[in-house]
Amino acid sequence: MKRDLKLILAGLAVYLVVFGLKTIGFLGDFPMLVINLSLVYMILTSSLNLINGFTGQFSIGHMGFAGIGAYISGILTTLIWKLSIDTPMHTRVPLFLVALTLGGIAAALAGFLISIPSFRLRGDYLAITTLGFGEMIRVIINNIDYVGGPRGLLGIPRISDFTIIFLITFLTILILRNIIYSSYGRALLSIREDYIASALVGVDTTKYKMFAFTVGAFFAGIGGGLLCHLIKIAHPTQFGFMGSILLLVFLYVGGMGSLTGSILAAFVLTVLERYALPVLFSSMSSFTLPRWGFEVGQEWRMVLYSFLLIIIILFRPEGLFGGKEAKILIPEEDR
Amino acid sequence: MGAVLTTTELTQFFGGLKAVINFNLELPEGALWGIIGPNGAGKTTVFNLVTGVYIPTKGSIYFKGEEITKLKPHEVISRGVARTFQNIRLFGNLTVLDNVRIGFHLKYKARYFDVFLRNSFYDREEKRIKGESIQLLETLGLVHRAGELAKNLPYGEQRRLEIARALATKPRVLLLDEPAAGMNPREIDALMELLLNIKREFGLTLLVIEHQMRFVMKICEWIKVMDFGVTIAEGTPSDIQNNAKVIEAYLGKGRVEL
Repeated sequence: MKRDLKLILAGLAVYLVVFGLKTIGFLGDFPMLVINLSLVYMILTSSLNLINGFTGQFSIGHMGFAGIGAYISGILTTLIWKLSIDTPMHTRVPLFLVALTLGGIAAALAGFLISIPSFRLRGDYLAITTLGFGEMIRVIINNIDYVGGPRGLLGIPRISDFTIIFLITFLTILILRNIIYSSYGRALLSIREDYIASALVGVDTTKYKMFAFTVGAFFAGIGGGLLCHLIKIAHPTQFGFMGSILLLVFLYVGGMGSLTGSILAAFVLTVLERYALPVLFSSMSSFTLPRWGFEVGQEWRMVLYSFLLIIIILFRPEGLFGGKEAKILIPEEDR
Repeated sequence: MGAVLTTTELTQFFGGLKAVINFNLELPEGALWGIIGPNGAGKTTVFNLVTGVYIPTKGSIYFKGEEITKLKPHEVISRGVARTFQNIRLFGNLTVLDNVRIGFHLKYKARYFDVFLRNSFYDREEKRIKGESIQLLETLGLVHRAGELAKNLPYGEQRRLEIARALATKPRVLLLDEPAAGMNPREIDALMELLLNIKREFGLTLLVIEHQMRFVMKICEWIKVMDFGVTIAEGTPSDIQNNAKVIEAYLGKGRVEL
């Protein structure tokens, strides 16, 4: 731990600055929501990076894992324990953390299951399988009345505050970093580079694919739990295909195999989406194209993302930080 | 001296293609044997069978008396067999040091929680592996390249790095698939010296597939010749050089008029 003092101090500094700005009222409710959202997206994107970027598997159902985490933790806090924002802090927070962990574990189990086809499937075939899995989660949730079905799980208390989210995001990134720079991380990278050579230098590729999916899904579940306790709702559409695609966009823009990239892309794109896009489109929000008769509005955001993705793939296929890492994230002995 | 690697009636069919037929091998401990034969003779398939890439259609493989026929590649490697590849298969986007460190993965004792927390045990293990890797790179004369990406190395050094990575798994038997391919005579001489050195230093048994006769005839103690999956001859280099069947396989049949 001592060796990571710089990283911990940097994290603490960021935390204190944001917390201070919030306390003096410079950052209001909306900016804080955006910051919290971007932190949650950092968790989701970096955990996807472990599977796609570092291990070289192609999972496009990552939001499904987040959905499991969100619903499990949401059911626990909202429907079973009936927590609310008025519940005293010393019961609310520990119970929430238990709910988050259980959500993470449930997602990890799902990740473990979905990794089984990955032993035999590669590339686009695996992608289709994970895609189907994500959709399955969405459809199942849609049909369970207990959690509100297509209306979504409503009335979730906003327990995720900046302190909790920041701490968990920091720990997630630290643990992922620790994995990546260990012998396990190198085993994952070797699977990405050449899975046959990897097996023939003694890496149990089956075990490590399973490991990547399980750990990645665990953190996605945690992220999902934080998300629904932030925006006070868990809705099936959030965790479907479009959600997973959004994470993939973050991942590719930031760069495969770079935690730095995932962190920055999640932050910048979330802020852009919440600030720049509304400004950009406010002048033309919902005007009707006379000739074709359809309305133009916020839906443009997906067009913009797709455009961004095309630009990135054309001019910088490895993403902004592909394979590179900020110095502070690299352990001293590996610099 | 007992055989360290034994195959009995090893046979592999790919659909109708008989890639290897009844391949028998009794490789003595500490030996340096060669397998030669024209392209498509089934030499690499033998390596793939021994290292668990394919499960043989028929026959069995024993390593130090223990059957390893149906083991997965990583299980075979963990018992002490290592190999290199005909077409170099390095982890190109990783550094030279990381390539070797992955080879040490089998001997890594830190468990998941040590890694998550980076505790002192994790530290010791990482330090040990890094130290041993650097040592290995020194032995193979690659230590000055440790920080470079494997794909940026010149060809000869990539070949050496593959050997270093294989040695990192601490093998007893090392299978080399055309280690001298694409090398000029001087490089081949250096390679032979290197192989004899590491054989002595690590107490290895070597089995080499090679086309370069200069190489095979000079350092192999015993040679097996394959053609169309069948072992057509075996013996000492001088036996092989004078074997009519071998000459026929390489040069074709013809009338010899004197």
